[in-house]
Amino acid sequence: MAAQGAPVVGIGLRAPHYAQVLERRPDLAFLEVHSENFFGDGGAPLAWLERFRGAYPLSLHGVGLSLGSADTLQERHLAKLEALVHRFEPLLVSEHLSWSSIGGRHANDLLPLPYTEEALALVIERVDRVQERLGRPILLENVSTYHAFAESSIPEWEFVAEVARASACRLLLDVNNVHVNAFNHGFDARRYLAAIDPASVAEIHLAGFEEADGCLIDTHGAPVSPEVWSLYEAAVARFGAQPTLIEWDTDIPALDVLLGEARKARAILVPREVGATARALP
Amino acid sequence: MKALGVLQGEFLESLLRDDEAPPRVAIYRRNVLAALSGALEAAYPVTLRLVGAAFFLEAARTFARATPSTSGDLHAYGGEFPEFLSGYSHARALDYLADVARLEWACHESSLAADAGGFDFEALARVPPQRAAAIRFTLAPAVRLVASPHPVVSIWEANQPGRDGTPRTTTGAEHALVWRADGEVRVERLGEGEWGALAAFARGATLAEASGCLGADAAAFLGDGLARHVRDGIVAAFAAPGEAM
Repeated sequence: MAAQGAPVVGIGLRAPHYAQVLERRPDLAFLEVHSENFFGDGGAPLAWLERFRGAYPLSLHGVGLSLGSADTLQERHLAKLEALVHRFEPLLVSEHLSWSSIGGRHANDLLPLPYTEEALALVIERVDRVQERLGRPILLENVSTYHAFAESSIPEWEFVAEVARASACRLLLDVNNVHVNAFNHGFDARRYLAAIDPASVAEIHLAGFEEADGCLIDTHGAPVSPEVWSLYEAAVARFGAQPTLIEWDTDIPALDVLLGEARKARAILVPREVGATARALP
Repeated sequence: MKALGVLQGEFLESLLRDDEAPPRVAIYRRNVLAALSGALEAAYPVTLRLVGAAFFLEAARTFARATPSTSGDLHAYGGEFPEFLSGYSHARALDYLADVARLEWACHESSLAADAGGFDFEALARVPPQRAAAIRFTLAPAVRLVASPHPVVSIWEANQPGRDGTPRTTTGAEHALVWRADGEVRVERLGEGEWGALAAFARGATLAEASGCLGADAAAFLGDGLARHVRDGIVAAFAAPGEAM
């Protein structure tokens, strides 16, 4: 994995920036796209992805597999993902530690799991099957949640750590989601980080949240907050300089705003090279 | 304790209802509706412009509760929206709306359809002239054909970005050809005969059968029309007489 040695920062690439990124070729270590945006059989999206693949390493980040659903794994979805992975040979492939469908009905949103022994066993078994099917390890991302099930019997951080330990997958640690959940559910974000095996984290996500009615909402529509930058520093100290991604999905700003956030992340990854990094970036 | 599937079923059910919800559940409810209505807005931009944002959102909510998403890929959501609009009481005065939406879904499908291979001109040249009438041409995967008693192409064109929304005509049937060039979806108005010939190809008809749709226009179609459709990749392949499709 390219993560070893050089600290690397990428951005989540969304349609408004497609042409600019190819034209300007900003100094980014990788581009992350939502896998489902390239599930079509042909046409412009796949043609764009071919061009991105020629310019940068790719990360395929899935939002729709519904890994934690009690329904059986969706064969059609998995087949699309498998074809995409084989065609584009991405650097990273990731999905979410959540569910989004049941009884064949989809919410198309990342829904919270009840943290129970049953859910834990199901997720571990599913991760194994997906990895076997794709012929490669995947990363699982911790999600932001607003609702907690009364049935939960395992703290989120223990659930996440156990999924990584028991299946051969590694974690995509979303530091913003840890902060959002710590606030929403009243736990200590640093205790969460301390529960995760340092060797199990292989990517970090950073994004912005918004506050409404005393709840933090993970909108991916704002700059990374000072508290999350501070938590990111703690995460880098514990997990090392893992590939880090800036995500922005609603009210998408100018590309330079994202590149500015990427620069900030890089400054934390390589404090001694801040000046050099800033000069190297456009 | 309730099984995982039961907890998930109850939670999802609570997101699709329209009653009072605890504030934290309401966040998810808003997210789900935003995802689904956002997918519809992306697939139906002209319909959205014709009815306005508030009307569209209300229609999208009503549709979403009646027609749940069945895929983790949001691009697959919303194919039944035109049918829903045709029976939506608040849209009754807009008799063309459902057909405009059908044209938009055709565009959406076209944008994601497989790329066509190159046309095999050499193989076509090897078909003996006396057997040409039995050739079955096939259309590219990105081609869609939409017919309506309303001027849907004119309405669609007038509501593209930068246009003022005034269609060139407000009455009369129109026949739309949807295709793709260089990854970009095109919408074009065809004469009824030419549209009928392409629709006949789509059904697996022979060249002779398709020409039957053209009447007096048959000569022009066989002269230039067909050649143009082949050149533009609309007619993408053919099966020679006796070959399996």
